Amino acid sequence: MTTEVTLVDEGRTADVQPPDAGVPSRRRVSLFLERYSLLLLTAAIIVFFCLDPATSSTFPAARNIKNVLGDESVLIVVTLAVLFPLICGEFDFSVGATATASQIAVASASAEHSLGVPLSVVIGVGVGVAVGAVNTILVTRVGISGIIATLGVGTLLAGLVMLYTDGRAIVGGIPTSITDFGANDVLGVPAITICTVGFGMLVLYALTFTPSGRYLYAVGSNRKAARLVGLKVERLIGGSFMLSGTLAGVAGVLLVARNGVGDPQIGGTSLTLEALSAAFLGATAIRPGRFNVVGAVVAVFFIAFSVSGLSLAGAKGWVSDVFNGTALIVAVAVSTYFARRRMQA
Amino acid sequence: MNDNATTAGDSPREREAVLTISGVSKHHGPTAALRDVSLTVRRGSVHGLIGGNGAGKSSLVKILAGVSQADSGGSIEVDGRRVDADRISSGWSAAAGLRFVHQDLGVFDDMTLAENLAIARGYDHPGVRPIRWRDIRSRVVPVLERFGVTAHPDRSLGDLSAPDRTLVAIARALQEEEQSGKVLVLDEPTACLPAAEADRLLATVRRLADDDGYAIVLISHRLDEVARTADTVSVLRDGALVRTLGGGEITEPAMVGLLAGASGEASSPEPYSAADRADTPVLRVDGLCGGQLSDVSFDVMPGEVLGIAGLLGSGRSRLLRSLYGLAPLTAGEIHVDGRPVRIDGVPAAIRAGFAYVPEDRAGEGVFADMPLGDNLTANRLNRYWAWPAVKGRAEARDVARMISRYVIRARSGAQPMGTLSGGNQQKAVMAHALEGAPRVLLLDEPSQGVDVSARAEIHRIVRTAVDAGAAAIVVSSDFEELSAISDRVLALNKGRVTGELGPGDIAAARLHQLAFRSVKEEKV
Repeated sequence: MTTEVTLVDEGRTADVQPPDAGVPSRRRVSLFLERYSLLLLTAAIIVFFCLDPATSSTFPAARNIKNVLGDESVLIVVTLAVLFPLICGEFDFSVGATATASQIAVASASAEHSLGVPLSVVIGVGVGVAVGAVNTILVTRVGISGIIATLGVGTLLAGLVMLYTDGRAIVGGIPTSITDFGANDVLGVPAITICTVGFGMLVLYALTFTPSGRYLYAVGSNRKAARLVGLKVERLIGGSFMLSGTLAGVAGVLLVARNGVGDPQIGGTSLTLEALSAAFLGATAIRPGRFNVVGAVVAVFFIAFSVSGLSLAGAKGWVSDVFNGTALIVAVAVSTYFARRRMQA
Repeated sequence: MNDNATTAGDSPREREAVLTISGVSKHHGPTAALRDVSLTVRRGSVHGLIGGNGAGKSSLVKILAGVSQADSGGSIEVDGRRVDADRISSGWSAAAGLRFVHQDLGVFDDMTLAENLAIARGYDHPGVRPIRWRDIRSRVVPVLERFGVTAHPDRSLGDLSAPDRTLVAIARALQEEEQSGKVLVLDEPTACLPAAEADRLLATVRRLADDDGYAIVLISHRLDEVARTADTVSVLRDGALVRTLGGGEITEPAMVGLLAGASGEASSPEPYSAADRADTPVLRVDGLCGGQLSDVSFDVMPGEVLGIAGLLGSGRSRLLRSLYGLAPLTAGEIHVDGRPVRIDGVPAAIRAGFAYVPEDRAGEGVFADMPLGDNLTANRLNRYWAWPAVKGRAEARDVARMISRYVIRARSGAQPMGTLSGGNQQKAVMAHALEGAPRVLLLDEPSQGVDVSARAEIHRIVRTAVDAGAAAIVVSSDFEELSAISDRVLALNKGRVTGELGPGDIAAARLHQLAFRSVKEEKV
């Protein structure tokens, strides 16, 4: 059983070729376009707004670019959070509420209870870990579907935040060391962006280069088959909810740093939906058909730069949601078409 | 067969023909599913239709239902209405009076009996006016009574016993006013029923023919039931009608003989003696119970392929799933290489040395949207892990080796699994299973839906694996395949081992006899 002997006569041996070797060039071109069109489109939009007379002075300004980078940090971290459950075929609808709750916890602990910055941050992230644990128990032990469990937990959490804050924002007394982190630059780049890049690299690494990350994809592809090959499916799904809760907790800390307040109106369902649509939009790029980190980040910036340019050009506030929704539908429709063609190949 | 017997007589063979199938053939590419099949079903009679897997029963039913069309040339006639077999449609079939109850009943378990009947019939008035449940109930009660169901129409269908659910499905098919339904096709109505309940169901079927004059086509694997219930029996083999038996010709030995292709009766099988073997068996199971399984015991020796011959519902798949930790066992002991093992889940089964290739390849075997390579290494990435990353090159080397070793025809390891042919997908699933160097390979229908050459390669792969000292257990409903691949075959019947054939004894004919033989006869 150790030699390289095949089980069938010579000449009938299957050809083993390097990846893509047998792929006709036309298909290779379409594969390239499929992978990188979102990235190219993002670049095109940036170039367009840099050249368009209406925005050519304001759009490329360092301040605008930095604003976009800084503002999107929280969304990127929440998008990274939802990727884990999505990859193994589950939805986490509680991430936005978790970020809000974590944000209130950090603001309250540091401003109202003077617990000090390190402890406040730990409490904020701890809220996320706790929510992840509750979701894990509900989904893998109790056996509730992930959509319902996280919808319930998220709604419950939003109510608890209102109960705790009475609907009022925690404005004063947030330590400057937290807000400085949200406002300052390191080598000309917002510190919060560098932090987000760090998280992105970690998630990319975990999903692409570790066995556990790739097992998550297997669970998402065919849960029964994953169980039959001996993967511990419940543990992997539970782990994905734990990571998702934890990252949502981190996003809450970043919210306080960026905004300098603890506001129960920030985050919530709209943040969840933005993160989910970025994850789906991102699944049409880089590794089409798979939820992936780079695609998701590109998707966030595609939306952010488009909306920024449009509003600088004088578009009204509603443009953001209309653009976001349209982009998601078009991208996923096109990508579904490509996927069908790929599976027929 | 007596064709053109239009006068009604006492003997069912002389009653008027309601369904006449003439010269129907069906090809899928070069392979023939049906070859020039002609048969006649008469009013007020039960016509048995039997045949092994792939004999063409379901192809014929699909054509009658108008779900698929036959090749041109044949024709189908129902009570004077005739259609070319290549132009039949589901609309024609329904209008002509053909009614079907499939093995998967297609009923709604969480709805009430009244709803189940009303949905098929359509509510009596269109639009948004409220449904008149009182009317529906009063209409439903006599219909249910006619078919021997006494439950209240507001009961949930899921609360009823299995035969009652089948009867409701029959009632639904025939509920419209008497004569619009003329022919009832029952596909394996008793497959999942215990004997007593099957008898009740068949008594009702018999009454539908005798009292109400329906022509009934009864498809069944259980020859004793067919022998008791049917007036005529047609035997299909390899897509062709072998013979139609009538009256006194309908006996179990005669049917077994025709099914298996041997002429006349087959000789009684003699149990193969598994005595005096020196080696430690790779697998020894003792008194396994759970689900249908009752007191199943056997050994498998190193280098041996053990076939399991059994019909649907015999516990054949349950046996494999239990050994792989997918279904609980209530009693019994399992030894692998002489050591006792406890199987309480898939990881424990894998640790104990089991590997499993499931029957439902698409549903449980493959990750269709993932690359072939990822399918091959699916649970073994830890092997390539070395801080800080999975070693892609080592993994790719193994993937290439497996593709070549198991002769998987693919452009590369990057090709999506779902775009491979069935046979190549199956070889990949087997490659993955064997890569863990299992002691016992459990294969459920290993060559289902694969072409002939892939089948030979799959058999070769199994043989190579056991030659290295492992053991394999193969479940297949294709008895030709079992006799080709197995060193020894156990017959499983209603959860019990009812016979064993050793080297030299295994022939498809014998297997048919063992598997189809009723338990009652076995006890004699």
